[in-house]
Amino acid sequence: MAERVRLEEGWVLHRRPYRETSLLLEVLTAGHGRLALVARGARRPRSAWQGLLQPFRLLLLSWSLRGELGTLTGAEPAAPPLPLAGRALWCGLYLNELLVRLLHRHDPHPGLHRTYGEALRGLAVAGGERVRERVLRLFELQLLRELGYGLLLDRDAGGAPLVPEGRYAYDPARGPLPLAPGEPAPRGSVPVSGALLLELQRGRVGDAALPAAKALLRAALGRCLGERPLRSRELFGALPMVAPGPALREGA
Amino acid sequence: MEALVEALRCLPGVGPKSARRMAYHLLERDREGARRLARALEEAAERVGHCRSCRTLSEAELCPLCASPARDRSLLCVVESPADVAALEAGAGYRGLYFVLLGRLSPLDGIGPRELGLDLLERRLAEGEVQEVILATNPTVEGEATAHYVAELVRARGIKATRIAHGVPLGGELEYVDSGTLSQALAGRREIGGEEG
Repeated sequence: MAERVRLEEGWVLHRRPYRETSLLLEVLTAGHGRLALVARGARRPRSAWQGLLQPFRLLLLSWSLRGELGTLTGAEPAAPPLPLAGRALWCGLYLNELLVRLLHRHDPHPGLHRTYGEALRGLAVAGGERVRERVLRLFELQLLRELGYGLLLDRDAGGAPLVPEGRYAYDPARGPLPLAPGEPAPRGSVPVSGALLLELQRGRVGDAALPAAKALLRAALGRCLGERPLRSRELFGALPMVAPGPALREGA
Repeated sequence: MEALVEALRCLPGVGPKSARRMAYHLLERDREGARRLARALEEAAERVGHCRSCRTLSEAELCPLCASPARDRSLLCVVESPADVAALEAGAGYRGLYFVLLGRLSPLDGIGPRELGLDLLERRLAEGEVQEVILATNPTVEGEATAHYVAELVRARGIKATRIAHGVPLGGELEYVDSGTLSQALAGRREIGGEEG
């Protein structure tokens, strides 16, 4: 018996052509996590789904599911499309790549669905590089938490409370290891201040701490992502032949 | 016979049934057509490559459009596929040249800047003939991301980058246009000028 779901909030993460006139969608839904759905006939010239089934638009999705692959039976807009443009659009593609790479199908993460929507709205209004960077870092932090790989941000690997003035080497597998004054961080760990970890614990990150937060979260995500690199990172920083002005030194 | 049916199935949208129908038709009614098709396929597969200047499908090293002296060499239109070139050539009255990406940036499909031949595009821009690059990638999320990426690359060389307009189709009715297109059309509205001259 096929499982039927009606009008559940969801986002298209990715779409690719499927058979002659259909689309194969990866979606993130509120109650059922990441799913693969076939949208039959969505690539026919007059299909109403053609324009609707795009990433970065909150939809109400209906589908039936038998086995691994579901069939889309309805899609309606739940909100106007988010006006992501330029670099904010690349950031959105980065979020989608993270989700497809790290979430298992049929594994519900209701909190993540909300966090993702907030991050996209943050990117849509963000005026500059720093705002976008902050949105990405806080999303990564929340994603790791949802996946069960949350960072240890209130005490060190030995269980002692973190001190803001302290220097730590963050080992993605073990947590923050206190460093003696002048001691370098060992290989595979990221040097961070106690202040940054405590700030992240409260869901905040200041402008000055953005580069350190990026290094920390990149290492932590690397542990989950494995060897295969994220392709969306190529969009940032890798623009060939462009002088690296301040506006271009950005990235995921 | 089975081999022919199987071979025909490589065409898009051709399942076992239509493949069998095509095979019977060719063998029962049109042997000459079958021979012509075989020769044309053989030749095309051997001889059609990519133009060294714009990457579109071409028999010659330089495609007829790139080789034509009648085209405006200061205008370069960037499109996703050879089919887009054909569409623009069929009726848009465009007189410039093209650059075909043969895809669009799509991290989840493993397509990054390297796969789109952007190094070749950079070499063309460096030659100094191009004054304006028109981004005519599709109005999808990936098409927009690609347009923005190429535009940054173009602007970094001090060359003008423009994007084709998106909006309501000619002869269309607003009532039936989807809301995404409508909001694009509103955002890209233009002032209606008076008579010129």
